[in-house]
Amino acid sequence: MAIVVWGVLPLVAQLGSGQQFSADSVRFFENDVRPVLLTKCAACHNDELRTGGLSIESREAILAGGTRGEAAIPGSPDDSLLIHAIRRNGELKMPPGGALNPDELAALVRWVELGLPWPTQPHSGSPADEPSKHWSFQPVRRPREPTVSDTSWARNPIDRFILARHEKVGLTPSPEAERATLARRVYIDLVGLLPTPEQVDTFVADDRPDAYELLVDEVLASPHYGERWGRHWLDIARYADSNGYNDDGPRKIWMYREWVIDALNRDLPFDQFVIEQIAGDLLPNPTKQQIVATGFHRNTLLNLEGGVDFEQYRTEAVVDRVDTTGIAFLGLTLGCARCHDHKFDPISQREFYRFFAFFNSIDELSGEFNDKEGRERANEPVLELGTPEQHARREGIQAQLKVMEQELDRYKDQLIEKQSDWEASLSDEALQKLAPSQQAILKIPMDERHEVQHDVIRGAYFGQDFAYQERRKAIAAVKKIEPEVPSTLVMRELPQPRPTHVLLGGEFLNKGVEVTPGTPAALPTLPQKESHTRGDLARWLVDEKNPLTPRVTMNRMWQRYFGRGIVETENDFGTQGSPPTHPELLDWLASEFIAQGWSLKAMHRLIVTSATYRQSSAHRPDSKKLDPRNDLLSRQNRLRVESEIVRDLALSASGMLTPEIGGPSVFPAQPPDYMIRRTWKESEGPARYRRGMYTYFWRLSPHPGLMVFDSPTALTITTKRDRSNTPLQALTLLNDAGFHEFAQGLAQRILTESTDASNSERVNHAFRLCLARPPTEPEKERLEHLLAAQLDEFRTTPGAAKEILPLPTPENADIPATAAWTVVSGVLLNLDEFITRE
Amino acid sequence: MQSIGLLDRTRRHFFSECFVGLGNIALGGLLSSGKLSAANTPRVENPLAPRAPHFPPKVKRVIYLFMAGAPSQFETWLYRPKLSEYDGQPVPDSFLEGKRFAFMERFMKDKLKLLGPRRKFQQHGESGAWVSEVFPHMASVADDLALVHSLTTENFNHAPAKLFLNTGSTRFGRPSMGSWLSYGLGSESHDLPAFVVLRSGEQSLMGGANLWSSGFLPTTYQGVEFLRSADPIPNLSTPKGISMERQTARLDAVRDLNLARLTEVGDPEISTRISSYEMAFRMQTSGPELMDLSSETQATLDLYGATPGKQSFANNCLLARRMVERGVRFVQCYQTGWDHHGNRQNNLNEKLDEVALDVDRPAAALIKDLKQRGLLDETLVLFGGEFGRTPMGEVRESVGRNHHIDNFPMWFAGGGIKAGQTIGEVDELGFFITKDKVEVHDVQATILHLLGLDHKKLTFRYQGRDFRLTDVGGHVVEKLLA
Repeated sequence: MAIVVWGVLPLVAQLGSGQQFSADSVRFFENDVRPVLLTKCAACHNDELRTGGLSIESREAILAGGTRGEAAIPGSPDDSLLIHAIRRNGELKMPPGGALNPDELAALVRWVELGLPWPTQPHSGSPADEPSKHWSFQPVRRPREPTVSDTSWARNPIDRFILARHEKVGLTPSPEAERATLARRVYIDLVGLLPTPEQVDTFVADDRPDAYELLVDEVLASPHYGERWGRHWLDIARYADSNGYNDDGPRKIWMYREWVIDALNRDLPFDQFVIEQIAGDLLPNPTKQQIVATGFHRNTLLNLEGGVDFEQYRTEAVVDRVDTTGIAFLGLTLGCARCHDHKFDPISQREFYRFFAFFNSIDELSGEFNDKEGRERANEPVLELGTPEQHARREGIQAQLKVMEQELDRYKDQLIEKQSDWEASLSDEALQKLAPSQQAILKIPMDERHEVQHDVIRGAYFGQDFAYQERRKAIAAVKKIEPEVPSTLVMRELPQPRPTHVLLGGEFLNKGVEVTPGTPAALPTLPQKESHTRGDLARWLVDEKNPLTPRVTMNRMWQRYFGRGIVETENDFGTQGSPPTHPELLDWLASEFIAQGWSLKAMHRLIVTSATYRQSSAHRPDSKKLDPRNDLLSRQNRLRVESEIVRDLALSASGMLTPEIGGPSVFPAQPPDYMIRRTWKESEGPARYRRGMYTYFWRLSPHPGLMVFDSPTALTITTKRDRSNTPLQALTLLNDAGFHEFAQGLAQRILTESTDASNSERVNHAFRLCLARPPTEPEKERLEHLLAAQLDEFRTTPGAAKEILPLPTPENADIPATAAWTVVSGVLLNLDEFITRE
Repeated sequence: MQSIGLLDRTRRHFFSECFVGLGNIALGGLLSSGKLSAANTPRVENPLAPRAPHFPPKVKRVIYLFMAGAPSQFETWLYRPKLSEYDGQPVPDSFLEGKRFAFMERFMKDKLKLLGPRRKFQQHGESGAWVSEVFPHMASVADDLALVHSLTTENFNHAPAKLFLNTGSTRFGRPSMGSWLSYGLGSESHDLPAFVVLRSGEQSLMGGANLWSSGFLPTTYQGVEFLRSADPIPNLSTPKGISMERQTARLDAVRDLNLARLTEVGDPEISTRISSYEMAFRMQTSGPELMDLSSETQATLDLYGATPGKQSFANNCLLARRMVERGVRFVQCYQTGWDHHGNRQNNLNEKLDEVALDVDRPAAALIKDLKQRGLLDETLVLFGGEFGRTPMGEVRESVGRNHHIDNFPMWFAGGGIKAGQTIGEVDELGFFITKDKVEVHDVQATILHLLGLDHKKLTFRYQGRDFRLTDVGGHVVEKLLA
């Protein structure tokens, strides 16, 4: 260690409070001293244990010292007890486990010489100086609605907050969008499907004053609402159907997805929604559904690669639960404090591990499972939800299997007794038939072979025994009829909690002091109790005193409707996050959310019926100068829909959608040769046309149609999706086999729904099926032109017409017309407007 | 059509370079309606527009030959004669203290015996580099290589170690090196992605698509895998029966209607979408042309050992050259089959020979071919696995070695590299580095440096923190540089 360098460190004022040390000396402390204190001293001398009355966790505590007096005197190492102890030249010899190495010793001596440099709070002058004063940590107060001069525009309080800002800077709101556009917008936002032309017509013709509100109520009541908003929640839950890492085995947790859809459809109050997912298993007499809900935190990755230390990856999963909980509910990047105190927000490393402790006692895989049996149990804990008949039948078969396997074991023992006879009896010819490695092992005397070599030889030996083979076949046959009982991953607490330690540097083997479950001190306190559980954490997250959960939740809902949150950094409400554009509106929404009994549907209705939401999304040159990013919402934003919804819109335009809700994942069409490690057997029949959210999600090779449109990878929480705009998206919509099928479906729908119509009327219908609105004259002309040219071609070459149709056509179908309309439909499904919520 | 002069650049470009099809008639109506004007169609930022590096670069592009599964250094590049002397002997206790090895519990307790090198070594070239007999072709270009013996890594499981080399972190969710480069430098290709991945080998590639993920960077920067299929990019070819002529008719209509909408609502995203379709159209032509090796001379095919239409490392190396010629910035060729533990599928006997045979000639050919075409000076080529293997043998049905993270080799060739040298020293039994340790973040810092990027300045703000490829580490390996 280059101690010499530190000899020239400038030493800044060292006495009194509020002192500042030079950046160099603080860096020296962080690099060379703090690690020694943490690894060699803190296990006993921490703020909690204070062995000998001493804690070394702050400069003040060291100066205060312990039962033997002050531990160090700044500038005088030779007079400092701490230095005497580590030099081990007196009665007190520290650390008790063995002397520090010379570099460590020299660093501590130098550090005392320098006056015990220690970092002060980061970023002096910023709110971080007093992090507890940061806006998002303050209680939610219900602000007064602002007064506005234009009293005619606002439809509800939201609008007054928005309009007040407009008026302040001289903006005016945009006019309300056309009714057809509004209908399409509401359907896409609330259920992720398209309205039919009839539904649009009804709404457009409805002259009741509350026609729009009635439409919103009707759409909100659709069971597809749970799918649409459930999928948003699954982004946060990092839902997937496989384990991740290199093995990426399948897992069954689709029942959790079904639970989310159902909970939203019955408008389960959000506080209860959170409690059941975090700790449904710890509720008094929990229902099976409340236990299924705990699948939320079982969506963590699982590494079953050969040779892994399960404890390492169990630790990773617990860390992920802390990260996810922090971002999902608190909008805080707790994960930053895994290896060191959070640099900006008031979260210490110790607090991270106290939070970690809430999730550390799940009865899931750990070090001791590092064997075959452990691998088979790797998905535990699992909740089985079969019928009593399924269970009874399975138990019967398992009992039978057990008997058969015991019998097989006995038979194997008999065979092994005769193994040497068999080996001796092998002819040269028989030997030649064995693999080279087996031949080599046979040359090793039997009692010198190790386990694996035994296995290899016995594989060959047993394999040629007829009676053995028959027994194996019988077992396999019985296994085949064992019924599969539906099951899902859930949480279950260990009878005795695992001790939790601060993990130094975030390393699972590098254990520091032990900690108990607890929440960060800067946030409201947990109720006074001897010890706290996951259940306490769940209730704390949605406690009325917690200002973050309702703010974060409302901000995220706002973001789904306007493309950007009131706080743009939707996953960071800490001091590094961006400040809210409309702080009072955010608080109003948060307080209204609680006042509405945490009803999500009530808040959806409120936002969707606001004048703010109903504005046209057309860009306006006049407001662009004043508000280039449209932060103040003087218009709606055009939003490209999410990956699953791209598919869902095409399915609903073509009329091919299988509207079934819930159930296991399915395998829609996918480009060939795409899978890594797994096969993709495409679903047939109705299962082929289900909504995008039911597509089986392999974490290692997710469906390309999803990823191309920015589906989350499901490796960590996603609170905001990208909206990229790439050539690969164009290729998908143009050429993907699935979308080509939808184009034919749409063509057939157009032709069957308007049998007597002219081509011009059909173009009109086609347009409305896809975009809800009728085409403009030039648009209609353009499509008619394409249609006419294609019809001409296909009428002259009917063979070509048949060739482009991927699906069988109905009897009596006009093949050339179907082909020409398939081309035109393909164009409609490729329009920017088609995959955009205007 | 004079009103086109009012359109923004994207659309001018579109009209000048693309087919103008049947749509002109209807579009004429749109144009004359006066709705198209510069005022409501702002300029669009292309996220892949070329961007200037931090300082003048030494190379323009990278080809990374990734030996997935982790080749044994003792049978390839690291000559340890002393290990032969100790063959079959137990390992000195001092070497094992505090070390963890994969599969320790099941296979290694009490059975740890050193394993002498299973292949012969010779010195090659003017530099006198030691190369084993499994790589005769690479040995012949030894003077073009800078061989580093002294890499270390952090995790001895395949997927995390591969992630570490690719993303600078052993955890999922960070952007890969190719994505960082696209983000930092943009793309130089108009009709191909900037970051392409190719795979060969029968075994699975642990880590999968996460190895070329854009992580928290926009997905535009994600690596695009060219598949072992008729369609190198998913959905590159038109649906059955849709001729290119018909596809063009569809594309023209899509463009015209998108333009109509653009004039109506003025959202620049629509003009980005129009450009995306234009690029997609070009990819449909350039993709198949790129993948078609039949235009190469027989001499070139023989140099690589490539066979048109086959999926092989040889074909992939040749494709990599074709890609860098066409402006692709970062090509990664993964070859699996290097995880030689000592079982029947993976061992240092015939299985090592098989995979070495697959990669040796093509890797050497790539160097020779780039050189003869004058491309080597502006290209960086890397070759290596995700970690090394133990000096001890593994007791299974055959001969093998376990995972070892304390030293492993990698070679570098091309622009900015001081070729014909060996960097780093390892103790005589091959356990630990004794000189010039190189960390994974150092390799990443060096690659970025050669491309003109300062690894500390290439950052992206995410969740309140500035992230970079090299996390909090990384030093440019000065010894590697010419």
